[in-house]
Amino acid sequence: MSLAEKYPQEIEKILAKYPPEHKRSAVMALLYMAMREGGYISKADKADIASMLDMTTTEVSSIVGFYSLFHDEKAGQYRLQVCTDIGCALKGADQYLADLCEKLDVKPGETTEDGLITIEEVKCLAACDKAPMFQVQSPEGIKYHEKMTVDTTLALIEELRKDAQEAK
Amino acid sequence: MTKDITLTIDGKEVSVPAGTLIPDAAKKIGIDIPVFCYHPKMEPVGMCRQCLVEIGRPAFDRTTGEAVLEEDGSPKINWGWKLETSCTNPVSEGMVVNTKSEKAVKGQNEMLEFQLLSHPLDCPVCDKGGECLLQDLTLAHGGTESRFNFDEKRHAEKKVALSDLIWLDRERCIQCGRCVRFQSEIVGEAVLGFEARGSHTQIMTTSEPGFDSAFSGNTTDICPVGALTTAQFRFGARPWEMEATASVCTECPVGCNTVLNTRRDVKTGGKVVVKRVMPRQNESVNETWICDKGRFTDFSADSRLTAPSIGWTDAIASAAQNLSAADEPIFVVDGSLPNEDLFNIKSLADEVGAKAYCYSEVGGGELTTKSGTYGKSGAGDAILVIGSDLYVDAPIFWLRAKQAVDRGATLIVATEEETRLDNFASTVVRDFAQGLEAAKEAFSKAENTVILYKGDDALAQSCADLNPTSLVGVWNDANTQGAWEMGYEAISDLDVLKGKTVYVAGKSALVASALEVAKFVVAQTAEDVQIAVSITEASGSKCVTLPSRNISESLGTFTSAERRVQLFHPAVPAEGDTLPGFVITAQVAEKMGVTLDIEAEDIFANFFDLSYADLSKTNPEEKLLIGGNCYENTQGVGVQL
Ligand code: SF4
Ligand code: SF4
Ligand code: FES
Repeated sequence: MSLAEKYPQEIEKILAKYPPEHKRSAVMALLYMAMREGGYISKADKADIASMLDMTTTEVSSIVGFYSLFHDEKAGQYRLQVCTDIGCALKGADQYLADLCEKLDVKPGETTEDGLITIEEVKCLAACDKAPMFQVQSPEGIKYHEKMTVDTTLALIEELRKDAQEAK
Repeated sequence: MTKDITLTIDGKEVSVPAGTLIPDAAKKIGIDIPVFCYHPKMEPVGMCRQCLVEIGRPAFDRTTGEAVLEEDGSPKINWGWKLETSCTNPVSEGMVVNTKSEKAVKGQNEMLEFQLLSHPLDCPVCDKGGECLLQDLTLAHGGTESRFNFDEKRHAEKKVALSDLIWLDRERCIQCGRCVRFQSEIVGEAVLGFEARGSHTQIMTTSEPGFDSAFSGNTTDICPVGALTTAQFRFGARPWEMEATASVCTECPVGCNTVLNTRRDVKTGGKVVVKRVMPRQNESVNETWICDKGRFTDFSADSRLTAPSIGWTDAIASAAQNLSAADEPIFVVDGSLPNEDLFNIKSLADEVGAKAYCYSEVGGGELTTKSGTYGKSGAGDAILVIGSDLYVDAPIFWLRAKQAVDRGATLIVATEEETRLDNFASTVVRDFAQGLEAAKEAFSKAENTVILYKGDDALAQSCADLNPTSLVGVWNDANTQGAWEMGYEAISDLDVLKGKTVYVAGKSALVASALEVAKFVVAQTAEDVQIAVSITEASGSKCVTLPSRNISESLGTFTSAERRVQLFHPAVPAEGDTLPGFVITAQVAEKMGVTLDIEAEDIFANFFDLSYADLSKTNPEEKLLIGGNCYENTQGVGVQL
């Protein structure tokens, strides 16, 4: 089911915020909606949003491609985004990431076997003083986790797994 | 009229209209500021930072508003503490610009070094090599050595087919955004975009099919590097090996000015062939663009007849004999012939008292010979497009209609099917009567009124009844208008040829149709005649074929649908023993006792109150609007009738 079919009222509310000749301004709000819905923005979502806003799919894809928090590929329910930029690297974030990946038996960019956790390597999250650190992006939003070790991370992942289990 | 602004660039004074951007003002006095992203036909974006200059502005006293003077009485100039991008700065009164000071040149050189950080420098195999802005500016501003670590160069995909026509090399792209802006700003089809950011920024399309636009080839001209190239010219030739000959597009009645780039080619056994078609600037017709239909015209014609099967002497004799023997010979042409061919055929027909028809599915020819040009419409003007999908029939007319809307014109579209112009129209109807009604209303309030129509005589008449400033027929061929100017009678079905002896000149399709009904056909064509021959055998009609030269081999003129007469020159040697169409007619005429001219220019002068020299005049200032590899028009912009 397309977004337009599933959330007609919510979409109408979003569109009402913008003058009709500038309705393309609603693109970010609709992209959030698509992210919330599936954890990523599918090709069908892009086409759907483009036609609602009189844009081309290329324009919509271009915006998706610009923001690192928009994703157009399916991944785990939680995206664990580790910063390995220079400041964090000096505090051992790159080693931390390598160790974590080994424990989880994934490479950066990959998803754990249960399909729950995707480990991503990202640039500056503006918290190098508390490195190693990462943020978790999920349908519930974004949360920072600072001064992490592999053990505290694994504990966190256990909790996320539990939450997911309960939610089911 | 906006007031002119006077400023000083590199010590030289120049006056330009308010709103002019610094690079254009500089160009006017022969100063070239290095630019990549800036293009004179698009809004500046300041993306590449290549155009850095020093800008000083006169100081004003804030309390009195008076200019502050130096001790010697000259105005005090405030210099910015850093370099500025000239392309994003409009001129202002008293401004002083240094484009060649030590500081400015250092800035420009350093920007160029950034451009080259990860550039692959594969000039030796790059289609753009030799006509590449990055090469030119590297020569002027580049260092001899890279200070960047070679191993850390960014790599990206080098062979991305954006469509069947256009290739992208992501490593060569310098992210200037010209292609993206061309598609969204100028064409209004935003089918190219940037993806990701920083050093990962790359061009992409998600349209289906990819790069879905009839104007895609133009991006390869304005791309300042070899990131966008055409599939057709891929590894085809080096730019400096090719000759450039002025021509006119044959694919539709817009009459876009082109250049045919030619070279000897090993694939054709060393023959000189057309390697590519490029736009030639004509601000009144195609500006600096051409459509993909025109750009990718196929000039190769392998199965062409290159000499009459029975030899020229016998062929001419047989043609003359049969025409003379017929009691009512008929002459039929189509709009693919140049004016010179049309004139000789019409003259011969008149001499022997025969009818001369021009085959056209679109009616109303005689009505269109009275009105002026379509021109550059804008605010206060109204345009009716009726019966034609301009995007397919005459793409550059489509682009001009779209741009007229950008400038404030009112557009009414009346077509049976949806078209890509609908998006830009203020009124869209799927019914002609309603379209005419809407136009009547809009025209009553408009200054200049234009109708572009495609339909039968009745539709043409209803359009003419609205009394537009310009009535333009969207013909099927490039020079159909030329035939009307010459007084050919229109014909839309070939029944009148039944059982007759007919002189047919034009496309092979016309020849084939004539062969199906006529008794004897004298066929003058530059196209493949294989189908014609097979029809002759099947229908039992008789035929003598007189192979003529095509446009790329000929000197001649076309009259566009807007009544602009334009000259084209021979770009490649004539194939085999083919002859110019007008010479063929003159030879047949001679055998029939009628003398006709055999020099293109003389024939032209017989009909038009003009000479080839008139058509060859140029507007040199226009070249300031070229940004990219579109050819400057040095061979003539033609004459509006
Ligand atoms: S492909 Fe060419 S025109 Fe487009 S952004 Fe890259 S360099 Fe510029
Ligand atoms: S618009 Fe017509 S004349 Fe111009 S390039 Fe295209 S086909 Fe040729
Ligand atoms: S040309 Fe001025 S910033 Fe690119």
